[in-house]
Amino acid sequence: MLAILKRETKSYYNGMVGYVAGAVLAAFVGLYSTVYNLLSASPDFASVLYSTAIILLFVLPALSMRSFAEERRAGTDQLLLTSPVGIPSIVLGKYLAQVAVFALALLPACVLPLLLTLFGQVSLVSAYAALLAFFLLGAACLAVGTWLSAMTENQILAYLSTFAVLLVSYMMNSIQTLFTSGSTLAFIVFAVALLVAAVLVGVLCKSLPAGSAVFAAGAAALVALFRLRPAWLLSAFNAALGALALFEPFNSFVGGMFSVQGIVYYLSVIALFLFLTGQTLEKRRWS
Amino acid sequence: MIQVEHLTKRYGSRLAVEDLSFTVSDGCIYGLLGPNGAGKSTTMNILTGYLSPTAGTVRVDGHDILAEPKAAKAAIGYLPELPPLYTDMTVREYLLFAAELKGVKSRAARLEQLGQVSARAGLHGVEERLIRNLSKGYRQRVGIAAAMLGAPKVIILDEPTVGLDPAQIIEIRTLIRDLGKTHTVILSSHILSEVQSVCDRVLILSHGRLAAQGTPEELAAQLTARGGVRGTALGSAEAVLAAAQGVAGVAEVHITGEADGEVSFTAATAPGADCRAALSAALAAAGCPVTSLSAENLSLEDVFLQLTEDAQAPQPEAGAEQDAAPGPDAAPAPDDKAEVPVAPPPDDTAGPDAAPAAQDTAPAAQKEG
Repeated sequence: MLAILKRETKSYYNGMVGYVAGAVLAAFVGLYSTVYNLLSASPDFASVLYSTAIILLFVLPALSMRSFAEERRAGTDQLLLTSPVGIPSIVLGKYLAQVAVFALALLPACVLPLLLTLFGQVSLVSAYAALLAFFLLGAACLAVGTWLSAMTENQILAYLSTFAVLLVSYMMNSIQTLFTSGSTLAFIVFAVALLVAAVLVGVLCKSLPAGSAVFAAGAAALVALFRLRPAWLLSAFNAALGALALFEPFNSFVGGMFSVQGIVYYLSVIALFLFLTGQTLEKRRWS
Repeated sequence: MIQVEHLTKRYGSRLAVEDLSFTVSDGCIYGLLGPNGAGKSTTMNILTGYLSPTAGTVRVDGHDILAEPKAAKAAIGYLPELPPLYTDMTVREYLLFAAELKGVKSRAARLEQLGQVSARAGLHGVEERLIRNLSKGYRQRVGIAAAMLGAPKVIILDEPTVGLDPAQIIEIRTLIRDLGKTHTVILSSHILSEVQSVCDRVLILSHGRLAAQGTPEELAAQLTARGGVRGTALGSAEAVLAAAQGVAGVAEVHITGEADGEVSFTAATAPGADCRAALSAALAAAGCPVTSLSAENLSLEDVFLQLTEDAQAPQPEAGAEQDAAPGPDAAPAPDDKAEVPVAPPPDDTAGPDAAPAAQDTAPAAQKEG
């Protein structure tokens, strides 16, 4: 794992990607900090990060896009997968390299709150808590990107799909507000999700009865719920959408709240997507 | 060393490898031979754990590749068809990385191995160059050097000489023979002369199945060979035909050409029978002096073609396409079938007995049918 981590990190700086990512993040953090902290004389560093968050949508997919897609295209995954190294180590090595590059790109941002203390009283705790959340948010985005990169051998496709997914998740809050009333829509969405799940089960188990059974059982439960407790359906739908809002927990840090929940959420997202990445690699060997 | 049992790999509805079983024992160079698409790369990818079999087991050094992948993979060094090189690294960086990946723990040990493998693979002088800037031959060497790292017992090379120029091919073959002294080597190829000149044992794959295995000589002998004689004689085609057909043991005679009163012919004979003396005497008696006469032995290529094409089109008749490449032309040039020089039948100046001997040693002796 260490070998892969070292090689990957180095290769980000062999090309331009590592430097560009660092430069872009530093430039925007600097810009917003100048505007918010210096020009408007505010000690609130978290709002700088809040505004910078959207930049992550553009920068992070560029870091994650190549991780597995390029490896597969060039055939170098054959070296990794035929070496006495487990898939978890490969995934972790490549992922941690991206995180390391991202962390290095964040270094300038780490210095800014300290600089601000020269000019007045700054809440370092809230600033660094927000920075931690920002880092975890980025790490979670990278995990999503790594998984999408493992699904394709085309870097551009990996970039675009990661960008799209992150964008939807960024806008999830406003999307959520569209669905506050009427449980019919929630019912339809759940029904479609159920159908997809049933088809997947049917295909994976190669048996029509299994798929039909899953669909029948799910549909019965869904209809019953819709008839008896439509409000539950709606709140479940909202909760599901809320879970997809990757940027939401970070926003609570910006508001000055240290949320353990948020940290656990990000760590779970990272674990889930790295697991999915491993599964994707594993599955490729079998197909 | 490697035991493969009932290996099957299915891509969707297509069977790439079907019920393949073989054993690779220590200290030999094995050749996996087959036409393109026969399942060679798939088999190698399964042996090395890159792909998983649909059914069947692979045991490397006693370790099942699925149950104990780390132990099994540690015993194997693999050079895939496309060398898995990071082109943005220097040769030295790459080999050090590969060594660490293969579990060579200390930096001193890695440096020591780096020195060993780059000396063996002939990489001195290019160690500090970017892999991106290396020629294909050197890239192949870097790939082979990487396969040697971590002291694996088996080295698996997938088409190691594909796309190289003749000089590079000779170099790589020498390197492979050298590797065979210290490792068990499995290499795949669709080039016969390569397998014939490098390998101790040959496995012939056809349509994902094991069509035959054995030493190159065994394979040639194993086939129920239809012997053949080719020659030229002076006289008319009819006279030659009549005289040759009268010889006991000659099953079929074809006239392949007639020019300036000299007739070329081929005669199919019973397996193992040598009718040259009788044929020569009969022709002479019929007033058709023999100007050349040679027996044809089946080369590995004949075995290969018969085995891999059996299921397909009917065999072309032994006849006009027959030609035997004499010794000098059959030097280790990259002789894809199409590139084998079409040489005239050997002169009889060397005497009828010298001809078959020359052909036994000619790797590219070729006959279709």
